[in-house]
Amino acid sequence: MPRSFQLEIITPTRVLDLGPVNYLRAPSLDGLFGIMARHTRAMISLEVGEVKVVKEGKPQYYATNGGYADIHGNSVQLLVETAEEAGEIDVERAKSAAERARGRIRSRETGIDEARAEIALKRALNRLGIAGRR
Amino acid sequence: MASLKDIRRRINSVQSIQQVTKAMKMVAAAKLRRAQMNMLQARPYANRIRNVLYTLLPQIERQLLPVLHVRENIQRSLVVVVTSDRGMAGSFNTNLMKAAQKKIDELGRDKADLVCIGRKGRDHFASRGYNVVADYVDFWSELAFDHAMTFGREVTSRYVNRSVDQVLVFFNQFKNVIVQELREERLLPLVVEEGEEIETGQVLFEPSMVKVVDSLVPRHLDIQVWRYLLESYASEQAARMTAMDNATQNAEEVIERLQLEFNKARQASITKEILDIVGGAEALVVEA
Repeated sequence: MPRSFQLEIITPTRVLDLGPVNYLRAPSLDGLFGIMARHTRAMISLEVGEVKVVKEGKPQYYATNGGYADIHGNSVQLLVETAEEAGEIDVERAKSAAERARGRIRSRETGIDEARAEIALKRALNRLGIAGRR
Repeated sequence: MASLKDIRRRINSVQSIQQVTKAMKMVAAAKLRRAQMNMLQARPYANRIRNVLYTLLPQIERQLLPVLHVRENIQRSLVVVVTSDRGMAGSFNTNLMKAAQKKIDELGRDKADLVCIGRKGRDHFASRGYNVVADYVDFWSELAFDHAMTFGREVTSRYVNRSVDQVLVFFNQFKNVIVQELREERLLPLVVEEGEEIETGQVLFEPSMVKVVDSLVPRHLDIQVWRYLLESYASEQAARMTAMDNATQNAEEVIERLQLEFNKARQASITKEILDIVGGAEALVVEA
């Protein structure tokens, strides 16, 4: 039996207590990183991307829009803006969000809106990718 | 004694007031359920973000960001007063404004700038000549995270550009449906209050401490303001629900009393009529 650690995913709208898990993979600003039990104390900024959790040998996937991983003791808390399990993602909504964002980028609006559209597109594509994992 | 017609009219008016208070109670109860849910969901995230930031504070180099600077000498204060737009919520706004006003007078009226969130607070302080530098009204019904961000930025920029040296927030914290707790919190500067647990030891930061703190601080401020708004909104609905429930019960009592008075008056007039008839009849008997 591989060692396990406690994992909680905390968002402004809900708390997911995943209990003891064996492995966590999350997107940091510099790329993916993996966490196993007994990790050292750390604070890691997270990017838009995929969170993979291995619990009892089975992988689960979550889409996130970024936040922090707070690692302390033998527990990890992901403080993220959003967390959607692969099965919960509304594919239609993600598709239309991606279309909207693409349209906005194509219309070449300048400044802050363009940057926001880029982020929105990234998030929508991320969600679509993870929805494909179910 | 009031005439029958007068009493009937009063009963009718109290009854229509009772209908209004009952309806307001129901509306508040419906809004409360949603507000309470939003608030309870946001609490763990807000608390964790705060804890993370505050446990890291002792290790953070204060010079990294202007928002982290702590001014030794507090000259001016910014007081944020979170009230509702509408009344009919018992002592919800009055207690809060009283406490805020006391604090502002202690600090010195001319040394305090006010940011009023909610119409009640703005009207109260603006009409008394306090220095209201910004106010936000008419947004509670469509409360969204964007509001918290707008207010947060406004408050933070006043701290960063040194127009104020500390930011105090007065709001009602939701304890349960019956009890709202008046809270005074210091949003800025970010300092560990006495008795709070602080962390020591090495922390690994990815990608770097500067970057983590740089994004954590604004997020912390936004989410705290968001928490103030949610707590206050839920408290407001709870206070209104309780106040309107009391009003409905009081109206019931008034109606009961008036009904009794009405019955007595009616009985009195019937008795009087009978007396008149009997007296008249007897007069006829005597004459016959």
